[in-house]
Amino acid sequence: MNCKIIHFYPHLMNLYGSYANLTVLRRYLELLGHSVDVVTVAPGEEVNLSDADFIFMGAGTERSQKAALRDFRRFADDIRTLADSGVPMLFCGTAMELLGKSITDEQGTYEALGLADFTAVQSARRQVIDVYGHTELFDAAIVGFLNKSSVISGVERPLLTDCALGWGNEKSGGGEGVLIGNVMGSHLTGPLLVKNPRLLEHVAAIICSRRGEALSTPLPRIPHMEESYIAAEQQLRLRSEK
Amino acid sequence: MKKFFVILICKMIRFVGKLTGRGSSLPGKVALRLCPDILTRVQLPKRIIAVTGSNGKTSTVEMIAAILRADGQRVVYNNEGSNQVDGVATAILSCCSFSGKLDADVLLVESDERYAVHSFRYFRPTEFVITNLYRDQLTRNGHSESVYDAIAPAIHPDTKLLLNADDPLVSCFAKGHDNVKWFGLDRCTLSSDAPTGVYRDGTYCPLCKAPMTYEFAHYNHIGAYTCTGCGHSRHDTDYAVTDADLEQGVLTIDGEVQVHLALRSIYNVYNILAAYAVCRECGVSSETIAQVIDNYILKNGRVVRFTIGGYDGTLLVSKHENSVAYDTNLRYVAALKEPCTVMVILDAVSRKYFTSETSWLWDIDFDLLNTPQVEKILLVGQYCHDLALRFSFTGIDPEKVEYHADINALAEKMKVEGAGKLYVVTCFSDRQKFLSHTQKEA
Ligand SMILES: [Zn+2]
Repeated sequence: MNCKIIHFYPHLMNLYGSYANLTVLRRYLELLGHSVDVVTVAPGEEVNLSDADFIFMGAGTERSQKAALRDFRRFADDIRTLADSGVPMLFCGTAMELLGKSITDEQGTYEALGLADFTAVQSARRQVIDVYGHTELFDAAIVGFLNKSSVISGVERPLLTDCALGWGNEKSGGGEGVLIGNVMGSHLTGPLLVKNPRLLEHVAAIICSRRGEALSTPLPRIPHMEESYIAAEQQLRLRSEK
Repeated sequence: MKKFFVILICKMIRFVGKLTGRGSSLPGKVALRLCPDILTRVQLPKRIIAVTGSNGKTSTVEMIAAILRADGQRVVYNNEGSNQVDGVATAILSCCSFSGKLDADVLLVESDERYAVHSFRYFRPTEFVITNLYRDQLTRNGHSESVYDAIAPAIHPDTKLLLNADDPLVSCFAKGHDNVKWFGLDRCTLSSDAPTGVYRDGTYCPLCKAPMTYEFAHYNHIGAYTCTGCGHSRHDTDYAVTDADLEQGVLTIDGEVQVHLALRSIYNVYNILAAYAVCRECGVSSETIAQVIDNYILKNGRVVRFTIGGYDGTLLVSKHENSVAYDTNLRYVAALKEPCTVMVILDAVSRKYFTSETSWLWDIDFDLLNTPQVEKILLVGQYCHDLALRFSFTGIDPEKVEYHADINALAEKMKVEGAGKLYVVTCFSDRQKFLSHTQKEA
């Protein structure tokens, strides 16, 4: 099959190597035997989202995030419809905060898309820390790094149910990110899908199953990805047990 | 009396440290603990020059000190300890008299970007040089706009700012500040029409986030930009490199001062220009400056030449977690004409703290190494698989790429096998792990 991936604001929202989430997803889908088109959207550009297989937005600075929000509001209805119909999406870093009710910084409060009922409050205080946690999606641990200036409250279903190491949405050790059906949001860098092969497989599986495509077995592997994951997992697990 | 004892203790700790061969920031740290306002109690020279930015601080400060000394000025600077307030206090207190007078013409301070505000609570720079701001040590610093927000409150209205006109974010410091001098690099042979690199931080204006256009770029997003929204654009320069030819290793400042480059890197061009600009502002003649910086070889160990087995090696320090520093060194290697082997070492991300954060590898333009004369690429260290994964997404022929988790085993092998030019790109944190196996060139 041919997969259509929508990449929102590739230059505006591209901190911490975010784009590489799509780089590895594309390679993985190709290894599964599919072709992939990535459609990029810059602020102000028109795009047809209706037949999207995956929607992505990377992390940006707090100022870039506000610019992204100003433009992204026009897609609110479309995004909600696609989310309801199960289209998988990933919003990294500050992009995750666009999915909630509101974002507040020193200048004021900005209304966000409202896909879920959480709020984000930003301050000059940054959390910068390695993260080791678990998700309800599979058994393997999730690894990554977090660099954020916001406290996120009111997430009903976090992507990481606990962080044995690192900060969650609100506090040390608590749940991190958000899951809204097949929509994922997380402040974890890594990039998330690069560092976590199980999550990459999970996303690819949703994309394929929505199109009625069975995954080939054994699952393909991107060389070095597993080794890189094992190295980080061991190091971070040791530190989480201290 | 308290001042006397604090200075005495500081000098004693430093003396003991020197005997045991350790320069550190401990003396200043202890002094600040004993007397938190000690830096307001000492008498500092009239001229205080500060330098900050993501890259080039140490090199720029070293050259400024050399130029001012050649001009007959007495300079004190924090070249031993850290560039945070402890290191600054160590430099000041260990050089001042017991009555608390710093007997020098100039206090020169290399300041950490994020902690400038702490150092400058006690004294205020007369000249403040800001070289550049890019993605650097995200694990510690956050992104460059958050670093900007940390520096801004450290700037006193009376301070003269010397800003890099080619850096769109650094240029924002001039907003609402009257006393500004600008330095920059004119369009020359090394310039391109548009920004380069894996990510494009110059695409949008740092002030209003509208798209920016470029007349030219020197590297990454450093160049001549104009915002299509608010008009934020490259300022006219007071001091300019009017021509730079990295292949010939020559640059010209203000159309008349010619300088030969011991290190032919674009960084060196900017560091020299920043040093030139601030020294001119301090009244040093262009002749004196040219004499000092012509073929100036940096003493801070950013470039080390060595041999191992049949290899003739050069190590280029490229702070980990700093993609622009990597890009600059990779571009340097790519521009060389002779066949070579390139080694990238990533064993510990930082020497100061643990982290497994490697997302910055995706910000580095490793495709720069996709040239015929780079015949082999060795990816080395604990994170060699992260490197290998990153390289598998470049256009580089996989046949050229090897990975080795064990630095020592690889070094032993290189002592008996292989030959040719070798370029090692790595960080301070990992440099010694390989250099300890090599013979340093005299
Ligand atoms: Zn603007």
